[in-house]
Formats: sequence, structure tokens, C-alpha cells
Amino acid sequence: MSSPPLLEVDRLVMHYVTEKGEVSAVEDVSFSLKKGEALGLVGESGCGKTSIAMSLLRLQADNAVFKSGEIRLNGENLLALPEDEMRRHRWKDIAMVFQGAMNAWNPVYRVGDQIREALDLHFRPRLSDAEVTERISRLFEMVGLNPAMANRYPHEFSGGMRQRAIIAMALSCDPSIIIADEPTTALDVIVQDQILQELKKIQEELGMAIIYISHDIAVIAEVTDTIGIMYAGKLVELGPTVEVFARPKHPYAYLLLSSTPSVTGPRRKLAPLEGEPPNLLNPPTGCRFHPRCPYATERCSIDEPPMEVVGDGHQVACWNWQEVPVTISQEARP
Amino acid sequence: MSEPLVKVDQLTKLFPVSRGMFRRPVDFIHAVDGVSFEIAPGESLGLVGESGCGKTTTGRLLVKLMEPTSGQILMQDEGSLIDVAHIGSDDLRRFRRRVQMIFQDPYESMNPRRTVFETVSEPLAVQNIGSLREREDRVAQMLQLVGLTPPNTFLFRYPHELSGGQRQRVAIARALVLDPSFVVADEPTSMLDVSIRISIMELMLELADAFDVSYLYITHDLAVARYMCDRIAVMYLGKIVELGDTEEVLSNPLHPYTRALLSAVPVPDPTYRKPEVEIKGGITKAINPPSECRFIERCPWATDICHASEHPPLEDKGAGHFVACHLVDKGAG
Ligand SMILES: Nc1ncnc2c1ncn2[C@@H]1O[C@H](COP(=O)(O)OP(=O)(O)OP(=O)(O)O)[C@@H](O)[C@H]1O
Ligand SMILES: Nc1ncnc2c1ncn2[C@@H]1O[C@H](COP(=O)(O)OP(=O)(O)O)[C@@H](O)[C@H]1O
Ligand code: SF4
Ligand SMILES: [Mg+2]
Ligand SMILES: [Mg+2]
Repeated sequence: MSSPPLLEVDRLVMHYVTEKGEVSAVEDVSFSLKKGEALGLVGESGCGKTSIAMSLLRLQADNAVFKSGEIRLNGENLLALPEDEMRRHRWKDIAMVFQGAMNAWNPVYRVGDQIREALDLHFRPRLSDAEVTERISRLFEMVGLNPAMANRYPHEFSGGMRQRAIIAMALSCDPSIIIADEPTTALDVIVQDQILQELKKIQEELGMAIIYISHDIAVIAEVTDTIGIMYAGKLVELGPTVEVFARPKHPYAYLLLSSTPSVTGPRRKLAPLEGEPPNLLNPPTGCRFHPRCPYATERCSIDEPPMEVVGDGHQVACWNWQEVPVTISQEARP
Repeated sequence: MSEPLVKVDQLTKLFPVSRGMFRRPVDFIHAVDGVSFEIAPGESLGLVGESGCGKTTTGRLLVKLMEPTSGQILMQDEGSLIDVAHIGSDDLRRFRRRVQMIFQDPYESMNPRRTVFETVSEPLAVQNIGSLREREDRVAQMLQLVGLTPPNTFLFRYPHELSGGQRQRVAIARALVLDPSFVVADEPTSMLDVSIRISIMELMLELADAFDVSYLYITHDLAVARYMCDRIAVMYLGKIVELGDTEEVLSNPLHPYTRALLSAVPVPDPTYRKPEVEIKGGITKAINPPSECRFIERCPWATDICHASEHPPLEDKGAGHFVACHLVDKGAG
């Protein structure tokens, strides 16, 4: 083994309690993150990505319940910590750039002052005023903003600039992990590309670990070393990004990749996936993908497939992964 | 190209921007600014570009949900081209039969208090087509075609009882129930999940063949446009800057904006090394834009010629590959 994991999510089960019953949003999910690693979590809307992100920071909704499992940061189980101790880790160790964060700036304060406040609260040892100012300037430069913008109000920033400033805020306390939940989803592709490239550069330079969360598998392909594919609250495949894209093993991963259009390569025929993802109030028995799975056998509707190691760092949860074609069909679109 | 089905000439839509409540508008957003293109019968033209570049406005003008500030839209009708701005009430009814729109948000086209049957049959009712019985049959047939089967289990459902994908299928059934020849589809799959997106795209391709319709397919996603469209038009701040066969434009982009857009698109292949995007900053609003090239502020190539001239015309640079740029030579296409 190389370096020990920085973060370990170990058999995490998290449900939401609602009037209609329990929503099984995160079901027996395990993965780990090494120092400097870029991990991507990909899956459709409602599959539990944000629930995992929020759990890692212990910022889950009020009706969320951790049923079992642990989240360990440097070996310490975060789920067992009292709130005031958890607060020490937020921003300082784990920071977050979340979906729509660019709209979360308080409109009546200057952007720089809002970052200053975070630094005052979380950065230890405390910095002097001059040090804070200098640090904010450096952060702005790092994310491609003119440091003078720190004295401006949020409405003077474009959407892309506001999201860059959020990244500056997330970086402000030197976290060892950044969680980026759909960091660029609301942005146009040119701005998205600029921000992703910037984040990637900073992450590599500072040796931070990062968890990218996206519904867009192409975004994950560009920026991660490791990819986890989620379906209906379950992690169904986990492995090196290059390997999973070249040889997806889980039927859902295979079909997802077979149905992703691209502007490069030949114009392939895309294979549609039948049906729709299930309601997690009442997920299918056995393998949660079985009602939509072309490879399903009788066993799939009864027994839940465990994660099985299929290659170096590559795991898959499917009874019939050996039936899945080895590579994606390259048949051209007629 | 055969006789066009739709011919758009110098289409322009300006929106006044009022400053303060009682002031007269002095500024204008040039949402669509001198746009010209043609669509052949059965052809699907993609309209791509960043948010706010004028895609939806163009679509709304074409289906007459909005009147242009200037310019002309001609639509083929029984062999002749009619001027959409000046159609009389009889012709207008026929126009509404032949031209439909599918919206990004299926809620926009589905009244929450109407059943699937009411929604899909409404165009038949407005056009006074068929008896109730015949309408029921027709709607059932349409539901079958769009994959909502068995139809009788969907007829009396309300929008909230449908998933996003199913709602979009209803919107497609409604758009095609009058057997139109032209449909504007405004980001019909961008709010859907990836696993559902492809089945809706496939459905739209199948139905385009079956019903012999042409699409103006609006999308901000170049990979989707590539899958759906015969030709694509790239828009920037109210102007079409490049237009041509889809594969030609994507493999040989000539306008600096198209090149930037294309190199920014994420590619679902972790081994692919993309070229660097040459332009900086984000798109701005087209309020009283400069008379020079609309792209001049962000253009990495801009020279004295660009600063000294008007916005370049959209010119054929060879084999029907149109580009609006002073620096792209003829014969490059
Ligand atoms: N009814 C209106 N009144 C005033 N301005 C408008 C109106 N409709 C659109 N605009 C403006 O016109 C420009 C073009 O808008 P349009 O909706 O056509 O863009 P779009 O390309 O469809 O964008 P998106 O990708 O975000 O849907 C924008 O600047 C927009 O703010
Ligand atoms: N506070 C909540 N109460 C009840 N259900 C919730 C709550 N938050 C999320 N959910 C449900 O949990 C599931 C996972 O949601 P989420 O983690 O937001 O998914 P994603 O980020 O992948 O879109 C979904 O079925 C969603 O509807
Ligand atoms: S376990 Fe069965 S149903 Fe689930 S993905 Fe594998 S083959 Fe399909
Ligand atoms: Mg989410
Ligand atoms: Mg639009």
C-alpha cells in the first residue's frame, strides 16, 4: 500500500425520514480518498450525490438519519464527533463548493469581507489584518480574479466570477479536501471550462484532494483520477477513471457511457437506456438497477450484489458483470 | 438545396431596456440581429450558442409567438412561400397547424390542471378537427407513438403524475398531433437526466422521419446538436457567426468563437487532451452593441481591419460553409 487514506467512507447508510416513509438516499456506500487524489462521483439527479457531500461535512438536512457506517478523516470518525468539534474541521480540513453557491453571497457585504470573516472564524493561528488582506489577494489571483475585485459587492460579479470567488473562499483556510458539488452546472461551457481548468491546476499545485460531483460524465472524465458511478443511492462501480471509461463493467456504467454523445470521435449510434430511475422511498429489491437492466437474471431481483474487486483498484457491484461487452460499441449512427 | 421550407431574411428583434420606471426606453437589447438562414423540407437545423445569445427568441419568432422588429420569415405553403408577418386569419389558422414548438420545460406547455388527453387533444379542438371519438383515437395513437403505453393508462393523468421524461413525451405528442411540417424544439432534453435524454432524442429522430417534419433544434450542447442535426448554426450575441453541415463545422470550425466553444466542450474520454480555449471572459448582454464585429471584445485574433470595419457578413467560404469573420479566407470551407 502507498499513502494511507485521508478520508474513508465506510459502509455509509443515510436515510431521510419523511411522512411517506424513509428515503434510502445513501445505501452502503464505501470509498476512500488519498492525499492529492481527484475523485469523481457521477450519477443522475436524485441518486444521492449531494446527500454524500453534505454527510461528509455533517451539513445534512434535519430529517436525515445516519443508520450505520463511518466517515473517517485521518482515522477519526466524523459521525461520532460533537458539533463543536466538527466545526473545527469544516473549512479548515474539508471545504465545499456547492451547487448554486454563487448565489449564496450576501448581497450587502463586499465579497472580500465575507472571505475575511471565514478566515477570522476558522484560520488558526489568527492572522493580522494585513495578512488577511494579502491572503485574499493571493486567493483571488489564484482563481483568476483581479484582487481589486475583493472590494466589490456580489452584484458587480458575473455568475462565473462569483463561482470563482466561492472557490477562493473554499481555498482560504488551506483545506486538505475540497468537495465540489456540481461546481459549474449553471454556467456556460466556456466559463465552465475555465473554472474546471483553474480548479484542477490549483488542486495539483497545492496537492489537495478533491471530490468532484456531477451528473455530467464528460466533466468527470476531464478532471478526475478515480471515478465512482452511483445509481439510486448505491455506488455501483469504482475505479481508475481511464480504466472505467475504457472497460466499464457495471451494466449501468456501460449503458451510461454508450449513451453519452461526444463532439469528438466518430458519430456513434447511442444506445438508449429503457425506463427511469426508481423512487428511493421504495427502491427495487435485490439489485436496484434490475428493472432496467438488460443483463438481469432471476437472482438480481432477489439478492443484492456486493462490491467485487475486478481489477487493480476497480470494483463493481453486479452479479453478471462478466456478461457485459468488454468495450463500448463503436457502431456509427445511420 | 431544394425549395426551402423556411426562409429567414435579416430577422431582427430588439427589446427595449427601460431605465427607471417612467423613462422612455433609450437602450435596446439586440436579441436577434439580422439573422438569415434557410431550412429544407425534412432537414433539421441546430441553433447553438451560450445562454442569452438569442436562440429562444429566434425560435419564438419563427412560430409567431412574437413579432419581429424587422426582417422577414417566409414559410412554404402548398408550393409557394408566404410571408409569415402578413398572413390573413385563414392562412394563420393553417400556419398554426403546420408549425409547432416544444419547450425546454414541459411545464411551460402543460397546464397543471389539464389531463394528458386534454393537453394533446387541445390543438385538435382549437382547429376544430374530428369528433370527440376521433380525437380520442388520434390521441391514443399519438401516445402509442411517443412510447406512453398502454395509452389508456396515461390519458387521464395530470402532469404531476408524470416524470420529466414522460412529460416531454406528452409535449412531443401534442406538437405532432396536427401533423406539422415544422417544429421548433427549444432545449427539449436539457432538463432531463442523461439516461432518459437519449431515448427522447431517438424518439424525435424517428418521428422526424415518420412525420416528415423539419426541426429548428435549439441547444447549448454541441454534442447533442451533433447527434440531432444535419446542419448547425452558431449564434453569438444575436448574430449567426457560422453555419454549415454539422460534421463540417465540428471538424473544421472556422470562426474563432466556434473554435473556442468547441474546445471548451467536455469530452467523455479521459485520455483525450483538449486544445486550450483561446478566449477569455463570459458572454455579455447585447445592449446597444458596437457596430464592429460582435465578437471583437473577446476575439483572440482581432486586427485593425476588424476595428475599422462593420460586423462582417455571413459569407459562404466554400461548399455551403458560412462564416462571419473578416479574417477567414474564401475557400477555407
Ligand atoms: N421578453 C424579453 N424582454 C426583454 N429582453 C428579453 C426578452 N426575451 C429575451 N430577452 C433578452 O434577449 C436576449 C436573448 O434571449 P434568449 O432567451 O433568446 O436567449 P437564449 O439563447 O435562448 O438563452 P438560453 O440559452 O439562456 O435559453 C437576452 O439578452 C435576454 O435577456
Ligand atoms: N431533506 C430531504 N428529505 C427527503 N428526501 C430527500 C431530502 N434530500 C434529498 N432527498 C432525496 O434523497 C435522494 C438523493 O438526493 P440527492 O442526494 O440530492 O441526490 P443528487 O445530489 O444525486 O441529485 C433523492 O431521492 C431525493 O429526493
Ligand atoms: S446485478 Fe443483475 S440487475 Fe444488477 S446490474 Fe448486474 S445484471 Fe443487472
Ligand atoms: Mg445534487
Ligand atoms: Mg433559451
